[in-house]
Amino acid sequence: MAQVPELPKTNELGFFEIRFESIGGLGAHLAGQMLAEAGVLRLGLNGAHFSSYGSEKKGSPVKSFVRFCAPTQAVRTNSPIERPHVLVIFHERLIKDRSVLSGLYPDSTIIVNSTLSPDEMKQRLGIKSGTVGTVDALSIAVEEKTRVNTAMLGAIARALTFLDPQALRDTIRATFEHRYPHLVEANLRTFDRGYNELQLKTFAGEGEELPYVRPRPQFGYLNAPIGGIIVNPGNSIWKDLSASRSGFLPAYDRSKCIDCGQCDLVCPDMCFVWEKSTDKRGRPAMALVGIDYQYCKGCLKCVEACPVEGALTAIRETEGYAETHGVSHRWNREATTARQAV
Amino acid sequence: MAVARKEEPGVGLAQEVALKTGNEMAALAASQINYHIMGYYPITPSTEIAEFLDEMKAEGLHQIYMIEGEGEHSAAGICYGASTAGGRVFNATSANGLMYAIEQLPVQSGTRFPMVLDLVTRTISGPLDIRGDHSDLYFAMHTGWIVLLARDPQAVYDMNIMAVRIGEHPDVMLPVIVAYDGFFTSHQKRRVQFFRDAEVVRQFVGERKQPYTTIDPRHPITVGAYMNDPDIINNKYQMKLAMEAAYERVIPEVFAEYARLSGREYSLVDLYRMEDAEVAVFLLNSAAETAKDVVDRLRAQGYKVGVISPNVLRPFPVREIQKALRNVKALVIGDRADSLGGFGGSVSHEVKSALKDDPENRTLVATRIYGLGGKEFYDDEAESFFRLGLEIARTGRVDVPYDYSDVTAGDPAVRPVQALEPLRKEEVTLGLTQVEKDEATGELKVKVAPPRALTERPKRIVSGHGACPGCGIFSGIDTFLKGIEGDVVILFQTGCGYVVSAGYPYSSHRVTFIHNLFQNGAATLGGVVDMFEERVRRGEIPSGEDITFIMVSGDGGMDIGMGSAIGAALRNHKMIILEYDNEGYMNTGSQMSYSTPIGHMTSTTHIGPAGRGKTFHHKDTPQIMAATNIPYVFTGVEAFPQDLIRKAAKAQWYAKHEGLVYGKILSACPLNWRSEDKLGTKIVETAVNCCFFPLYEVEHGKTRITYNPEEKGKRVPVTEWLKMMGKTRHLLKPEFEPELRAFEQEVERRWQRLKAKHEHPLL
Repeated sequence: MAQVPELPKTNELGFFEIRFESIGGLGAHLAGQMLAEAGVLRLGLNGAHFSSYGSEKKGSPVKSFVRFCAPTQAVRTNSPIERPHVLVIFHERLIKDRSVLSGLYPDSTIIVNSTLSPDEMKQRLGIKSGTVGTVDALSIAVEEKTRVNTAMLGAIARALTFLDPQALRDTIRATFEHRYPHLVEANLRTFDRGYNELQLKTFAGEGEELPYVRPRPQFGYLNAPIGGIIVNPGNSIWKDLSASRSGFLPAYDRSKCIDCGQCDLVCPDMCFVWEKSTDKRGRPAMALVGIDYQYCKGCLKCVEACPVEGALTAIRETEGYAETHGVSHRWNREATTARQAV
Repeated sequence: MAVARKEEPGVGLAQEVALKTGNEMAALAASQINYHIMGYYPITPSTEIAEFLDEMKAEGLHQIYMIEGEGEHSAAGICYGASTAGGRVFNATSANGLMYAIEQLPVQSGTRFPMVLDLVTRTISGPLDIRGDHSDLYFAMHTGWIVLLARDPQAVYDMNIMAVRIGEHPDVMLPVIVAYDGFFTSHQKRRVQFFRDAEVVRQFVGERKQPYTTIDPRHPITVGAYMNDPDIINNKYQMKLAMEAAYERVIPEVFAEYARLSGREYSLVDLYRMEDAEVAVFLLNSAAETAKDVVDRLRAQGYKVGVISPNVLRPFPVREIQKALRNVKALVIGDRADSLGGFGGSVSHEVKSALKDDPENRTLVATRIYGLGGKEFYDDEAESFFRLGLEIARTGRVDVPYDYSDVTAGDPAVRPVQALEPLRKEEVTLGLTQVEKDEATGELKVKVAPPRALTERPKRIVSGHGACPGCGIFSGIDTFLKGIEGDVVILFQTGCGYVVSAGYPYSSHRVTFIHNLFQNGAATLGGVVDMFEERVRRGEIPSGEDITFIMVSGDGGMDIGMGSAIGAALRNHKMIILEYDNEGYMNTGSQMSYSTPIGHMTSTTHIGPAGRGKTFHHKDTPQIMAATNIPYVFTGVEAFPQDLIRKAAKAQWYAKHEGLVYGKILSACPLNWRSEDKLGTKIVETAVNCCFFPLYEVEHGKTRITYNPEEKGKRVPVTEWLKMMGKTRHLLKPEFEPELRAFEQEVERRWQRLKAKHEHPLL
């Protein structure tokens, strides 16, 4: 083993810490695991890796944590990483929730899967200093038929100069070659493209600490109904699941629609908005007015079920499309005042 | 800065460095021990142990015979039986898995058959919480088992190996639990070492020497004779002696021998900077490690503080605790579970009791309940424990001996805000489906509006649930509910459908919803229905009230909950049991269920040089339920919506007029079927057209196929279905010819039988 790399900076416990913010299914957990394995098993550092888990599945937010320290140091803490030296954001829509930026140092590195430039991203993030990297990992993954995770790993390897990219390449090979040998080369290409296509820029200047805010439940022992009873059921309509989409959504063309209702039967997320109307002969009938993209996870089952050419089409989602083309369910149009509740 | 453990392994015993989780290390230890049998049942966060072992087995890395029970109770039974037969036995569970198995644990210890159970600690329901505290461990303490604690992934490996020797020692002969923290330890990768050569481990554990077994006809024995008053007290005294032997001799000896082999030393109690500590914090497992970092920080500021943390919970290391605390002025005990009404967690009481028995001890003690339900234990919370101890030491007074740490009060002015108006009766009673009984023939006549008109039916389950993209559960259930008129009360058993739609403080259920654990949903809803009817009978509820009661379960819930469902069917409660069958335990990560077809790949039926997928045929739950002679049984899929909605309308009629209905919907799981999100409907359609999943109903015992792909010219070979999913594509390879043939023949046999039943009303 070559010289163990020197960590560029560490916190008071001696750790260099990396936090991934992602969506289940993009492979952030595996990316964290590969990063930790490369650091510990190939570069000789000590470290740890784990992810936050909820009960929800693919499409739900997930965090993954990697800590590195000197090889002679023990790892004892079990807490999630609150003050990351490096923050890696796997899905641009996660930025909507400001808590993903929580705990940044003024000189932290932030890497985002995005088509924006580092300058534009700095603007979007609303930060004053630090190093910002952007890489269009989704396009790379779509083109290479892989997932964004190895592209993000390539970007991380480029941004963190103490990491030998070969150690990560070797780890990727070792991870895939046994069970998925056909994926090795595509993932190595994805990694290399992430490495090469990362745009990285350091912004000096007036830095500010973004304090870590630990989320607290709104309902505690004084105001939560006893027994865990939910007295306002149906309140999941307040959730925004648009970050569950991984690049595609169904586009709806009212002019071609025959209101057959097949889409409504297969949609797992009740996204189709119907209203009482009349049919061609003027008799009362239900009519489809559009899709509520707040809940659409982009599964595209509706496109498969639609019997009419062109009424529902799968398209690559572009910035602002859902906001301008969607139709809100009536509950969202009538009850927006209740939204602050949970 | 904490210094990493210096490894000084014995000469020639090469150890490998790796980055592994606690569950990986548990599986690795088990594979190296090469247990004869593992009996288990999936439950987060312990399930991975069986998954890793199954994966290793598929690679030919060990020979453990893996048996997935239909519930933890049966898994514990399998383990008990297997251990009486003389070989080595392993199990792993968590939380309610332990609770469901628990009556077996004193049986195992009381009849003195050793085995090893890894308890990956997790909060006991309810409300359900998948993350970790010690509420399960605090029950396990009272079962007569040895309990070893493992604070990190390295200790998980080491304790698992030592557990075998400790439990099987002739002076002990007790089963052993190895307990470690769910997620914090089970799912965290740490740098670890393990013996490169499994032979080192096998030599250390040696052969099991059981003086008698249940499979030796030449030396017959009676196991489990009942014992009454003069005898049971002596049986327990024998166990007390065994615990004492473990405490006084066996555990210290095994720890010492293992230290010589591995270079890793364990003592009964882990003491960190306790030599001159005036204030100490007492914690179990991973939290103690977090607190050590705080000790270093406070020591640097001049405070004499330390951490005390047992490695063995049963037998409880009383003397070592007394000795360590002899000169400690203040002790704060963190209990990661409460013994409600006992004013302190179980460990607090035991530590206090140990101190009371030391006449010289003057330590002041406070208890803080912390970290319940997997709530993170940060260093600042650990520091607050030390600060409390320092304050107690300074004042010589314990103002609040028992309290909770870091709870949230919430603002009393903030109340839950209504999200949606409750559905009005007229909103849900639209006449979109109509059922009438033809009095002449006794047949039900069903009218169903077209899908367009059915979109007027308000959704009882609304948007915002967290299921995966393309999940078939909610489209299937929603299609079914389109056929249900009027008010509905719904119960979900534990499973994907539940956890993604009822995660506090959110609920996607607009109508009244109940969850109960998945071995008992049918009985629970039966109780609801009968109470409703009884209160109507007593005039406490207006007689016009009319509710349809529906229990929803996954196929896993129809394994562990089969007994409850059959009981409910035999009692004939007026309710519907609706199963969404996605062919596995998808909530816990795609383990096989009994409904998984033969040869299919799951996380506990891997494919590999020595792994051939599931080894037995899929369970025919509709036929089992039909055999209870309930009024109506049906199958359906979202790909044939009119068929499913018609059956829903009939189901409602029978549940209102006659009694229990059971229906099964085949439901796509793109994540674990490894299929494209968008193809779910097509895949379940093909399952019907290949006759794997025929659409039929059994009405008053008469079977009717409601869609016959042969008559429609739509029948396809099963391979057309299998090739659509990543979990089955291997079955098309020549080397899986035997499994494919077996599957084809079974599908054909069941289809032919079904057709015969369709033809003959008496079958």
